Amino acid sequence: MNLPGRHSLLWRLAGVLALFCLLLVSLYVDVGRMLVEATSYLSESTRQTLKGYAQEAETSWRERGRSGVDAFLQGLHEREQVWAVVVDGHKTSLSSQPLPAEEVERLDFVRRLDFPVGRPGSTPTYSIPFNDSDARLLMELPQRLSPRRYNEFWELLLQRIFPAFLAIALALLLYRLLIAPLAILRRQAAALSAGDLSARLGPQVTRRKDELGELARTFDHMAERLDHTVAFQRQLLRNLSHELRTPLARLRVAGDSEQDIEALRQRLAREVEEMEKLVGDALELVWLDTERPSLPMEEVDIVRLWDVLRENAGFETGWPVERMPCELPADCRVLGNLNGLAQALENILRNAIRHSPEGGVVRLAGRREGGQWLLWIEDQGTGVAESELENIFRPFTRLSTARPGGDGFGLGLAIARSMIATQGGRLWAENAWPGLRLKLHLQSV
Amino acid sequence: MMTSAIASARILAVEDDPLLASHLQSHLAGCGFDVTLSHDGSEGLQLAESEDFDLILMDILLPGTNGLEALQRLRRQRSVPVLLMSALGDEQNRIAGFSQGADDYLPKPFSLGELSVRVEAILRRVAYERRDPQPSTEGNGLLFDEGRSDVAFRDQWVGLTPSEYRVLELLWRHRDEALSKPFLYQQALRRAYAQHDRSLDMHVSHIRRKLQAAGYEATRVDTVWGKGYVLVQAGA
Repeated sequence: MNLPGRHSLLWRLAGVLALFCLLLVSLYVDVGRMLVEATSYLSESTRQTLKGYAQEAETSWRERGRSGVDAFLQGLHEREQVWAVVVDGHKTSLSSQPLPAEEVERLDFVRRLDFPVGRPGSTPTYSIPFNDSDARLLMELPQRLSPRRYNEFWELLLQRIFPAFLAIALALLLYRLLIAPLAILRRQAAALSAGDLSARLGPQVTRRKDELGELARTFDHMAERLDHTVAFQRQLLRNLSHELRTPLARLRVAGDSEQDIEALRQRLAREVEEMEKLVGDALELVWLDTERPSLPMEEVDIVRLWDVLRENAGFETGWPVERMPCELPADCRVLGNLNGLAQALENILRNAIRHSPEGGVVRLAGRREGGQWLLWIEDQGTGVAESELENIFRPFTRLSTARPGGDGFGLGLAIARSMIATQGGRLWAENAWPGLRLKLHLQSV
Repeated sequence: MMTSAIASARILAVEDDPLLASHLQSHLAGCGFDVTLSHDGSEGLQLAESEDFDLILMDILLPGTNGLEALQRLRRQRSVPVLLMSALGDEQNRIAGFSQGADDYLPKPFSLGELSVRVEAILRRVAYERRDPQPSTEGNGLLFDEGRSDVAFRDQWVGLTPSEYRVLELLWRHRDEALSKPFLYQQALRRAYAQHDRSLDMHVSHIRRKLQAAGYEATRVDTVWGKGYVLVQAGA
C-alpha cells in the first residue's frame, strides 16, 4: 500500500481520532483519580458537625453519666441512622451497654477527622476525641455527610455524558473538515449541470492541499475545459452559420437572376467548393480542439516539404517558386506528423501569400536551438497591430481592412496553431517591420 | 486510357440516399460500367455475397446494418475491392480507423469526377495484380532492379527507398501518361488517398532530388496540377 502524501486527509483524520482517544482515556483515568482525591477528605463543615456531636456526647457524659450517654446515642441514632459508641481511653463503653466482642475489633479501624475516607464504597468510622479527657465518640460517617455522596452523579457525567458530547464535538469537527467542502462541491456541480458554466469552487476549497483540494482543482479544471469547449463551439457554430449565409445568398441571387446556364453552373461549383472547404475546416478545428488527437510522429524533411508546398501554392496563385525562397540548412529535419505539419505550413503560406503586396516575397528560414528547430515564415505585407497578434489565431477573425485580401475565413491559422500544438510544438506571430513573421518551434529529430 | 476489362466491370453501389444513388448509377453507367444498385445495407450484403462483382461502393452509415460490420462479414468470404463513402469527416485518423479492410475511402461530399478517378484507380490496380511481375528493365540510361528496389544510372545506385522505387517504376511504365494520385497511392503506396495526404508528394520530391543528385537529366517527373504526376522526356 502506498502511503499518501504529507498533506493527505489521512493524517488529519488520524490526528483527530488519536486526540479523541487520548481525551477519553484521560477522562477515565486522570479525571477519575482527581475526583477520588478531591473527595477523600471530610469538608470543614462536616468536621464541625462531627465535633459538635462529640461536644454533645461529652456534655451528656459529664452532666448525666451513663444514662446521659445512652440518651445521646439514642438521639444520634434517630438523627443519623448510623452505628455510634462512646468509649474511654481503655476502649470501654461509657454507655450502659457493654460493647459486644465483634464491635471491640472495630475500634481498631477508626480514623481521625483529618484522615481520608478510604476506598470508594466503604463506610469509614471516625473517632472524635473529647476535649478534656481521653474518652471519644466513635461513629460511622452518615451518608449525607460523605464527601462522596455526589460521586455517582459525577461519574455519570464524566463517563457517559461528557464522552457523548465529546463525540458530538468530534463529529462536528470532522463535518466541517470533510463535508463542508463537499457541500460547496455539490452546490457548484448542481449549478454546472443547470447550465451555469462559470461555476467554480474558488480558492476557499482549491487551495487546500489534501485530497479534497485535489478534487476541487480537478473539478475546476473540468469546468474550465467544459466552459472553454462550449464557448468555443458556440462561437464556431455562430460564425459558421454566419459565414455560410454569404455563399448561400450569392447562390440564391444567382438562381433568381442568372440566365446563362453555364455561368450558373460555374457559380454553383465555386460556391459549393467554398462551402465544402468551410465545413471541412470547421470540422477539422473541432476535431483538433475537442479530441486532441495524438498523430503518429515521423521524421519530416522541412526543405523537401516546403518544395512540395510552394509548388502547390505556385499552381494555385500563379506565384513563381522563386518568390517563396527557403533559407533553411539542408539538414533541417523535425519530428512531426507529415500531413499535419504540411497542412499547418500550407495554411501559413497561403495566408502570407494572400497578404503580400505586388511582387512580394514569402521567405522560410530558421535555425536549430538545442533540441528544437525555430522556423519562421515572413511576408512583406503590412503586418498587424501588436494588440491583434494573438487574435489572428482565433477562428473567423477578420482584421481591419488594413490588411488586403479578405477572402479567407480565418480558420487557417487557428487550424495551424492547433495542429502544431498537437505535435508538441508552438506557433506564434511577430511583426517583422514590414510584414508579419510567423514563428514556430518544432522538435528536432 | 480505360482498358476494356475495366470499362465492362460490374459494380455494386450500396447507397441509401435515393437522389445520390440514382446520380451514382447514371454516372457510372455512363462510364460503361455495369451497375447494380442497392438502398439497404443487409440487402446489399446479400447481393455482394451471392454474386460476383469487381468493385463495391458502400456508404458507412447505412440503415439496416452498419457499413463496417457488413464490410467485415463480407471480407471473411470474398476479396472483392471495396470503396467506402461517408460523411463522417475526412480527418486522417478517422479514415485510418474506418478504412480498415476497405481499399479506398471517399469523404462526402465528393464530385462524380473524383469518384470516377478512384474507381478507375482500384480497378486498374486489380488488373495489374493479375499480371506477371516484370523483369529488370533498362531505358534511357536508367536500370530498374526490382529485387533491390532501386535504379542505377551510369553504374551508380541512386539510393531510392522501396516506396520511391515503386512510384518511379510506375511512372516509368506509363511514360507521358498522367497518373492520378488515387491510382499512385493504390498501386505504389498500397493504401487509400486522402485529401491532406502529402506522402506521395514527398516521395516525388525525394525522387527528383535523388535523380538530380545522380546527374540524370534525360527525363523528369512533372506535376499535373489537380490530377497527379507524369514522367516526361526532358526538353519535351
